[in-house]
Amino acid sequence: MRKIAIAIMLVFITNIFASQFNPIMQEYINNLKTEAKKENSGFVDFSIKEGEKIFTTSHIGKKSEKISCTSCHNIDLTTTGKNTFTNKLIEPLSPNKNPNRLTSVKDVEKWLRRNFKDVYNRAGTAQEKGDVLYYINSK
Amino acid sequence: MKKLLISVVLFSSLLFGQSGVKPVDNKLYLKECGSCHFAFQAGLLPERSWVKMMNNLENHFDTDATLAKEDYDTIMNYLKVNSSEKAMNYKRSRKMTNSIRGNQTPLKITEVAYFVDKHNEIPLRLITQKGVGTLSNCMACHTTADRGIYSERAIQIPNYGRWDD
Repeated sequence: MRKIAIAIMLVFITNIFASQFNPIMQEYINNLKTEAKKENSGFVDFSIKEGEKIFTTSHIGKKSEKISCTSCHNIDLTTTGKNTFTNKLIEPLSPNKNPNRLTSVKDVEKWLRRNFKDVYNRAGTAQEKGDVLYYINSK
Repeated sequence: MKKLLISVVLFSSLLFGQSGVKPVDNKLYLKECGSCHFAFQAGLLPERSWVKMMNNLENHFDTDATLAKEDYDTIMNYLKVNSSEKAMNYKRSRKMTNSIRGNQTPLKITEVAYFVDKHNEIPLRLITQKGVGTLSNCMACHTTADRGIYSERAIQIPNYGRWDD
């Protein structure tokens, strides 16, 4: 009985870790939370669901064309994407499929900065960045 | 025997220069520039073109390609040192350089006269087709482009095959 309990505990713990950010990324998320609170005093936490909306809805982007994050990264984040303008292949965004994703703060900041401009034609807010990172991390 | 062969190859490359363009040999350049598009060799454009391009990464062909300061500096330096007019021992760099007038600063490799001349007989449908999309997608047809080799032998156009000039 005790062995089963330990086994269940272990599975539970591994699952938690699987969806957690590494320490430097967690620090970055915490900073985003602080910033989000400044943007909106009612801020509680980031939301996977809101992140999904940000990721999947279309907007007139920097190239004056209708575009969404999924135009290049696909709806299914475990699949290989393709840059819709250059045809260059993009490795899956899903950290489950591609463990390199969401591990470097420098890379994450760079892509959030560039891609919000490309798709939304403006910088993302802290709330939006956090939401979309929660969404990607859930995949 | 092997040594002799190597010396002959080395000697003839000294005499006649290299055939293609120097392959990219900078990891940061490959990562930062090669994540959105083919990592075009620095020897395909002159220094003034690279500098002009790097001065406007916020609007890099209408996308945001901004870099962290330290990466920007490394890549700018790499492009300057390896630009086409500094790689004249490579055939493609030489031809590209010589086909650009002194008062021109092209930003698109695909608009350089030598490049245009080399590609103007290809039917548009072969370029716009799904597997290619744009002339800047070198690897779609030049199977060894990533090694700096653009020879006719290594061309394989999707839904067409080999290309004979």
